[in-house]
Amino acid sequence: MSLTEDKLIQMYTTMVRIREFETKVEEFFAAGKIPGFVHLYIGEEAVATGTCAVLTDKDYITSTHRGHGHLIAKGGDLKRMMAELFGKKTGYCKGKGGSMHIADVDLGILGANGIVGGGGPIANGAALAAQYRGTDQVAVCFFGDGASNQGTTQEAMNLASAWKLPVVFVNENNGYGISCPTCKSMAVADIADRAAAYDMPGVVVDGNDVVAVYEAVAEAVDRARRGDGPSLIECKTYRWRGHFEGDACTYRDEAEVQSWMAKDPIKRLREKLLEQGILTEDKDREIRDAIARELEAAVAFAEESPLPAPEEVLEDVYA
Amino acid sequence: MPRVPIEITSPVEYLSILKEDGTLDKALEPEIPEDLLLRLYRTMVLGRLLDERMLQLQRQGRIGTFAPIKGQEAAQLGAVAALDPGDWVVPCFRETAAQLWRGTPMENILLYFGGYEEGGRIPDDQKTLPVAIPVASQLLHAVGLGWAARYRKTGEVAMTFFGDGATSEGDFHEALNCAAVFQTPTVFVCQNNQWAISVPLSRQTRSKTLAQKAVAYEMPGIRVDGNDVLAVYAAAREAVERARAGEGPTFLECVTYRLAMHTTADDPTKYRSEEEVALWAQKDPIPRFQKYLLEKGILTQEKVEENAAWAGEAIGKAVDRYEAMRGELGDPLEMFEHHFETLPPTLQEQREELKRTLEAERMESHDA
Ligand SMILES: Cc1ncc(C[n+]2csc(CCOP(=O)(O)OP(=O)(O)O)c2C)c(N)n1
Ligand SMILES: Cc1ncc(C[n+]2csc(CCOP(=O)(O)OP(=O)(O)O)c2C)c(N)n1
Ligand SMILES: [Mg+2]
Ligand SMILES: [Mg+2]
Repeated sequence: MSLTEDKLIQMYTTMVRIREFETKVEEFFAAGKIPGFVHLYIGEEAVATGTCAVLTDKDYITSTHRGHGHLIAKGGDLKRMMAELFGKKTGYCKGKGGSMHIADVDLGILGANGIVGGGGPIANGAALAAQYRGTDQVAVCFFGDGASNQGTTQEAMNLASAWKLPVVFVNENNGYGISCPTCKSMAVADIADRAAAYDMPGVVVDGNDVVAVYEAVAEAVDRARRGDGPSLIECKTYRWRGHFEGDACTYRDEAEVQSWMAKDPIKRLREKLLEQGILTEDKDREIRDAIARELEAAVAFAEESPLPAPEEVLEDVYA
Repeated sequence: MPRVPIEITSPVEYLSILKEDGTLDKALEPEIPEDLLLRLYRTMVLGRLLDERMLQLQRQGRIGTFAPIKGQEAAQLGAVAALDPGDWVVPCFRETAAQLWRGTPMENILLYFGGYEEGGRIPDDQKTLPVAIPVASQLLHAVGLGWAARYRKTGEVAMTFFGDGATSEGDFHEALNCAAVFQTPTVFVCQNNQWAISVPLSRQTRSKTLAQKAVAYEMPGIRVDGNDVLAVYAAAREAVERARAGEGPTFLECVTYRLAMHTTADDPTKYRSEEEVALWAQKDPIPRFQKYLLEKGILTQEKVEENAAWAGEAIGKAVDRYEAMRGELGDPLEMFEHHFETLPPTLQEQREELKRTLEAERMESHDA
C-alpha cells in the first residue's frame, strides 16, 4: 500500500499537533490551571494517528482515559478540548466533564472513558447499529494493555466475532497499567494472541511506526467494511510521561524510558520524510508554526471563557 | 516490515479413547484400578437415576426447579475422579453427579432444589462448594482457592465446572487470566453441552473449539470427548498432576450434550430438533462405558441389575430423609431472609405468594 505524500504530511501534522497539545496540557496542569486528572499521550501519537487516518468522519471510535490523542486524530476541536480541560463553560462538556468525558458524536467520537475496558461494548453497539442499518461504517475501539485483561473486553471481542461486527480492536500496549508491567498482569507475551480465542485475525505492529499502524488498520477496516468481522491489532508502544501527571514513576527505570524515547514516532517519520524529500525544514517550520498558533488560540479561548455557574452543576447529568 | 507472525505456544489437541460404538483405542487406555472403574460406573448410574427421580419430584411439586444432568455424567465424573478428597470442587448448577462422587449427601441436593438453604451448607469434612447460579462467578472462587493453596503450600488443587455459555462471560476471562499469571493450581472443566438455554454454540462464539480460548492466557487447553469417561479421566488426571506439581492451571473442554431440558422450567422442543437429540442419545456415555466394563469382565449382567436396584433403593431412602427434614424445617421461606433488614415490597409479595401456594397445595393433597 502506498500512501500519498499528502497523507504522509497530514499524519505527520496530526502527530505534531497531539504532541504539542499534550505539552501545553503538561505545562498548564503544572501551573494549576487544569483541575482533576490528566493522562498524557506523549510517545503514543502514531497509534491514534495511523488508525484515524484510515477512518472517515462517519466511522466511530471509542477512546480511553488517555484520550486526547484519539480525539485530536479524529478531528476534535482543540479550542473546545482545551476549554474542557480548563473546566470552562465553552468546553465539550460545558466544563463539567474534564479530560475523561470528552465526546463529539458528529465526528464519530463516542467518548473518552474513565472506565478501563469500558469502550469495547460501546464500539460493539455502534458497529451493530451500522450492521443493522446496512451502512459501511466501522467502529474502532482503542484500549490499553491493562484494559485487555478486563472481562468487558473479552465479552466485546467474543460478541463482535460471533456476530461479525465491523469493529477494529486497537490495543495500545504501552507496557504498563499504571505501575503494573504487562508481565505481571498477563501470561501471554503478545496481546494479539488473544484473537485466537475468538477466531479473529490478530497482528502485532510497531506502534511507533505510523505507517505500519496505518497499513494494519487499513486492512482490518477493509475486512470490517466487507462484512468479514472484527480484528485485533496490538500496537507496541510506550508512554513517556507518568501514568497521570504527577506520577513519580518509581516503578520503571530511566534507561527504559530513554530507550523508548529514542524510538520517538515523530522523529522517525520526520527523518524519513526529510530523507525522501517529502518534507523540508521550511515546510516543517511552517507546520509547527501553524500548530503553535492553533494552540495559542485554543489556550486563549480556554483562559478567556467563563466557568460554569455553580447552579448548573447538576444540569446535563441525566437525560 | 510491519507484521510479525506470532508463534502460538499452546496447541489444542483432541482426545477420545472409548468411541461411541464402544471401540477402544488400546494404546491410549488409561490404567485405572478396578474398584475405581466400578465406582465410576456406579456413580454414573446413580447420577442418572437420581436425575430421573428429581424430575418426577419436581413435576409433583416436591422440589423446585433444577438443572438436569442427563448425558453429562461422564464429563463430570471423569473429571472429579482424578482428584483427591482433599482437593476443592467448585461446581455451577448442573453437577449432581460430581456432587455425589464427592460425598455431598443426596438429601442436601434435594433440600437445595427444594428451596432450603440448608442444602447448600458444606458438611465440615467436605471441600465441595455449594451450587453457584450466577454464570461464571464460580471460576473466580476456584482461582482464589487455588491461589490460597499455592500460598499456603497445601498441595491442594481446585477444580471448577462451567458451561459453554460461561466462556462468553467477563468473569471467565478474568479468572483464566489471573490463574495463568499467578500459576494457580486450578483445573477449569468446561462442559460444552452445545447449548446455553436456547443459544446454540454457533451463536455463542465464532471459535472452532472452546479449548483454544486457553491460548489467550498462555495456558494449556485440551478438548476431549466428554461422553467418554476414560478420555475425560485421562485428561483431568494430567491437569491435576500438573497443578499439583506447581505447573499451573489447565483448561479442559469436554464435548458433551444436555439430553434433557435446560431446567425443569424450559421446553427444548421450542429451539432444537428431535433429530439432534436422537443423534446425541446414541453417544450416551453410560451404555458405552457399561459395554467396556462387561467386555473387560469387571462387570456382569447380574451386577448391572444389582447396581440399578441398589441405586434405586439409595435414592428412595434419601427422598424419605429429605421429606422428613422438610417436615422438621417447615415451609422454605427462609430464602427470603438474610438479605435485607426490611424486605422490599416486591419480595414481601413473593413471600406471601409462596406461602399461599404451599398452603393451598397442602390443602389439596389433604383433600385427596
Ligand atoms: C474499571 C476500572 N478499574 C480501575 C481503574 C483505575 N485505572 C485507571 S487507568 C488504569 C490502568 C490502565 O492501564 P492500560 O489499560 O494499560 O492503559 P494506559 O493507562 O497504560 O494507557 C487503572 C487500573 C479504572 N479507571 N477503571
Ligand atoms: C450472570 C448470569 N447471567 C445469566 C444467567 C441466566 N442463565 C442461567 S443458566 C444460563 C446458561 C448457561 O449456559 P452454559 O454456561 O452453557 O451452561 P449449561 O446451562 O448449558 O450447563 C443462563 C444464561 C445467570 N444465571 N447468571
Ligand atoms: Mg498500558
Ligand atoms: Mg451449555
